[in-house]
Amino acid sequence: MVKEMLTGNSAAAWGARLSEVDYVPAFPITPQTEIIETLSQWINDGVMNAKFTNMDSEHSMITAAGTAAATGARVFSATSSQGLLYGYEMLYNVTGWRVPLVLINVSRGLSAPITLEPDHNDILSARDTGFVQIHAATCQEILDTILMAYRIAEDKRVLLPVLINMDGFYLSFTREPVEIPDKEEVSKFLPEYNPKHAFFKASNPMSQGVAVLGGSVYSYFKYQVHLASLNVLTVHDEVAGDFKRIFGRSYSAIESFKMDDADYVIIMTNSFTIKGKAAVTKFRKNGLKAGLLRLRLIRPFPSKELRTLLNGKKAVAVIDQNISPGSGGILFNDITTALYHEPDRPEVILSFIGGLGGKDISHAEFNHIIEEMGKSMKTGVVPETQLLYTKGDLEQINNLLNIAGKTSGGLGGIEELKD
Amino acid sequence: MKQSTNEMIKRIRFHGRGGQGMKTASRIVGTASFLEGFFVQDSPLYGAERRGAPMVAFTRLSKEPILERGIIVSPDINMIADETLLNDQTANVFQGTWEGTVTIVNTHYPASHVRNVYGIVGEIVTLDITEIALNVIGESVLSSTAAAVVCKLTGMITESSLEEAVTRELSSINLKKELVEKNVQAALTCFDRIPETHPHYFESIKEDKKDEIVRLEYADPCLGSPSVYAKGTTKLKKTGNWRLFKPVIDHEKCSRCYTCFVYCPHSCISIDEEGYPQIDYDNCKGCLICFCECPKKVISKDREVRTW
Repeated sequence: MVKEMLTGNSAAAWGARLSEVDYVPAFPITPQTEIIETLSQWINDGVMNAKFTNMDSEHSMITAAGTAAATGARVFSATSSQGLLYGYEMLYNVTGWRVPLVLINVSRGLSAPITLEPDHNDILSARDTGFVQIHAATCQEILDTILMAYRIAEDKRVLLPVLINMDGFYLSFTREPVEIPDKEEVSKFLPEYNPKHAFFKASNPMSQGVAVLGGSVYSYFKYQVHLASLNVLTVHDEVAGDFKRIFGRSYSAIESFKMDDADYVIIMTNSFTIKGKAAVTKFRKNGLKAGLLRLRLIRPFPSKELRTLLNGKKAVAVIDQNISPGSGGILFNDITTALYHEPDRPEVILSFIGGLGGKDISHAEFNHIIEEMGKSMKTGVVPETQLLYTKGDLEQINNLLNIAGKTSGGLGGIEELKD
Repeated sequence: MKQSTNEMIKRIRFHGRGGQGMKTASRIVGTASFLEGFFVQDSPLYGAERRGAPMVAFTRLSKEPILERGIIVSPDINMIADETLLNDQTANVFQGTWEGTVTIVNTHYPASHVRNVYGIVGEIVTLDITEIALNVIGESVLSSTAAAVVCKLTGMITESSLEEAVTRELSSINLKKELVEKNVQAALTCFDRIPETHPHYFESIKEDKKDEIVRLEYADPCLGSPSVYAKGTTKLKKTGNWRLFKPVIDHEKCSRCYTCFVYCPHSCISIDEEGYPQIDYDNCKGCLICFCECPKKVISKDREVRTW
């Protein structure tokens, strides 16, 4: 084991290298990341024994990844934001084929307008594809989760591909100390993949991903994907147990922070959770019983674990770093659904949208969340979904609107520009 | 709530231009802190990357796990490696600086002059690291010199960790051994030039920024959609101070062939009434394509003296 300063991108590349993947198909152009750059260098230098192929798009890349996995190869690839969307159609295909590849997404707010920093509309658009989804919050967790992901994906109770999410810039470009495990330790945890259900071989012809042309047959196979995904709830915990035994680091489907006696709970995902932890630490210093949950396993959704953690709590606030226009926060819906039938559920559950396009969530915004929870407890009135946006943010946008020739308070000045 | 700066964490922000080495500087400080056994984060932010465009990089070091990520809004140490950024509103180099911030400006001016002109709050240190880099390394790349100044000002990093960090980081980007050694020498020179402990560094207090949440209302699509109505906004952004070298046309020898006018990628060359090309120095970035393309070789390049 060595400890080094690694970016999230380097940590992901190390995860693939230590998993001894056989094949890395990649679309090499923007929005691709240094993950692929690093792997192609290692494969070229001969320190990694895998086949690397440049593809013409993410659509081709995911097709190549899925088909290679169907031959029994261990496959890894990576993409980001618009790239994931470009390959979207094939995400459904590869889950239908029941192939256990691992794909990394580096989150970035979707265009338009273009931005460079993260939110999760990109990864959550793949929510219903059948991919298992795990969202990481540190560079170490990215490396570790890749190792765990192959164990989960290749388990015969699952056989589904895994999407791992990391935030652009906040993890992908950020270096921090990361433990790189020894190869020998990794091989104890993650043995070679021996496919039992799908293997294209010239000597053993078979058909994969066949047409079914009928609802009842389609329903059968589709529901199998759902059942396989639900099995991950058990398999994840087993794999995490083995991981802890060998490497000493422990991961659960939901990370708890200062939850034991917490009355006020904030729920977040991904790397911005660190801002929530800092806020909760500050609230605790001021005597407020605050706690935080980070949803790590997004699909399957860990409803049962969530119920256990939240029953009996006074107030919950969900910060969705995503937006479903016309509805609100995406994860808020999953969370409230999980709690609806619980007699001992929290009294109020509030919905916030924060950190879109990487916007900071300041302590003033966390303060507002706590105040709103208190107000709702008192009055019993729960507000509609709120955007976390400050006066300072508004001043900045008004300044920019002026520079762009859009004067606030009527459209004076704009009319004359129209001719 | 008031907070003493004598907390366990140091937040360092680096301002420079693409190509000056601030990403590497943030990494050298990060690696040096890592070697000292601290919790560390470093990250660059350069948006749509272009040589010469303003960029920032960040390093955090702490004795305890770091409960922060991303942009440093309020730095404890603020390195301004390019003095022309002081005037650049979009670079916003003084954002979040406070009485406890130590600002370092790469300039030949004394600290008092910089303070008088810009009204900088907190401590200020000046050192002409470009001159040191040019003398010792032979290039105006500032990664190791900027990192060395910052390492010293933290008061938490030793000379040997700095030396090891410069060597590791510059070797990892395949710099030749000879050049790495020169960088180490330049770094150690800068490390020596900064006084041991900074007088007010551990004494100031900072206020939590107060802000309130606002409710966004529906706006007319003329306002609420990401379009720009104003014409000629590119002109608002003067890029002339990106130059290291200034192209100068010798109009006595110019044959008015317009080759430079055609090749200028930023439309900074116009033709005057007598048919001579004139350069808009407010916006010329000093790419020197005109210098290269001039068929009669009557365009020279002059090293620019940075003034503000």
